[in-house]
Amino acid sequence: MHASVRPRRVSPAEVRARLGAPDALVEAKVLDRIDEHFRRFIAHSPFLTLATADAAGRADCSPRGDYPGFVKVLDEHTLAMPDRPGNKIADTFRNLAENDGIGMCFLIPGMRETLRVNGSAYATDEPDVLARMHTEGREAELALVIEVAEAYFHCGRALVRSRLWDPASQALADEMPTVGEMTTAQLNLAIDPKDLDAGLEEAYQTLY
Amino acid sequence: MQQHTVIDRAEDIAEGVVSLLLRGTTGSLAPWEPGAHIDLSLPNWLTRSYSLCGDPADAEHYRVAVRHDPLSRGGSEYIHHYIRAGRALKVSLPRNHFPLLPAPRYLFLAGGIGITPLLPMLAAAVEADVPATLVYAGRSAAAMPFAEELRSRHGDRVRLVATREDGRPDLTALAAGLAPDTLVYCCGPAPMIAAAQAAFPADRLHTERFRPAPRVFAENKPFDAVCARSGRTVPVPADQSLLNALNRAGIPVAAGCREGVCGSCEITVLSGTPEHRDDIGASDSRVYACVSRALTPELVIDR
Repeated sequence: MHASVRPRRVSPAEVRARLGAPDALVEAKVLDRIDEHFRRFIAHSPFLTLATADAAGRADCSPRGDYPGFVKVLDEHTLAMPDRPGNKIADTFRNLAENDGIGMCFLIPGMRETLRVNGSAYATDEPDVLARMHTEGREAELALVIEVAEAYFHCGRALVRSRLWDPASQALADEMPTVGEMTTAQLNLAIDPKDLDAGLEEAYQTLY
Repeated sequence: MQQHTVIDRAEDIAEGVVSLLLRGTTGSLAPWEPGAHIDLSLPNWLTRSYSLCGDPADAEHYRVAVRHDPLSRGGSEYIHHYIRAGRALKVSLPRNHFPLLPAPRYLFLAGGIGITPLLPMLAAAVEADVPATLVYAGRSAAAMPFAEELRSRHGDRVRLVATREDGRPDLTALAAGLAPDTLVYCCGPAPMIAAAQAAFPADRLHTERFRPAPRVFAENKPFDAVCARSGRTVPVPADQSLLNALNRAGIPVAAGCREGVCGSCEITVLSGTPEHRDDIGASDSRVYACVSRALTPELVIDR
């Protein structure tokens, strides 16, 4: 679906003019390392989104989650994150092979502020890194090493406005059809959506 | 069952070792005997087992000592960074897979933080007037918790070995000079356990590990878990553990380490033959559901 008239484009200079200069405090809060406060945030975060792009700038953003602290702080300039079984598409690894830039946004349930970490990343199979990601009797086969360029707390307005942690917000999910229903419709599949949902539910039982 | 505690004291007692003194907040804590451990339920959803190393006569407190493992998966690292005095912590009832059996004399072998279960064992032996010796090895004196306390309390019964200077203790020589009725208790890192197993007869040696021994198992085979109490039969496919299959079937089983060390997921076996893959040493009347499977097509369990 395309808008009949393309929304007009605003130049970067005009964007800056309209937003005004950033607060001195906002700029000062950006650190080039993971200090004890950021480390504590990461130790309590079970979820993050991770953005990469390929050499041509085609961007990709994916969710990652595990127990709180699943991202390890190796030192104040380096993080490591396990690669858990997923859809095996490996967009992140493919992008990083071409373009090592990475942006991460860590969330803590119940907390409005998020932690932003930007830097560069590569895949590793270093045994001492993978050993730290061993869980439920299984080791991760690969991990991402993230070299931190900047880290900062992102203010909580987005989460306040979105009422993300308000339990009542979960009623929104009731307004959605199941993934099985949507996928069978999108792909014109001649299968019972309930079978697709049941299969997905089954797959969700094996998390590691 | 969980017990509610609060951290009364958290103190660094050696390089990379913190001691936690936990006080029960709803009356006395469950009793325990030397060799027992408890599971700590950490705020980061991880459960970790630690040997009790305080005084069993103190019904108000438990004490554990935790070494910060540089390859921590999130247990010891979390405790070292974020667990402080005043914090509430839920702990399990004590379990004991490493009980001190009666014997005319004992030899205790500790490697590093492996001292913890042996500390109350030595105290119990001394109190009962049973001859006992402790050989306690660690990288350096500064990295060995309780070393001074042990020397001042038990004197010549304790031999400290700083391996960085003196090398590892010669267990073969120790074994050669040992009275044959001695029971040997060993807790330490994998190389020490292996050396003890090579040096001492298996029927005189009791060991406890921090982490599972690296082993290779036969390929997983599917089997049926027949639950005698609930009258249900739960198929356990090859790619799933007994623990997961039961939990998924709505038959709840508690779990801790999920690698066959802590014993949280113990289940009584009524018939059938388990394929034991734990490091606890289960008899055929018990099975640790996180790792162990079945050699028979059916395993009848008390669930």
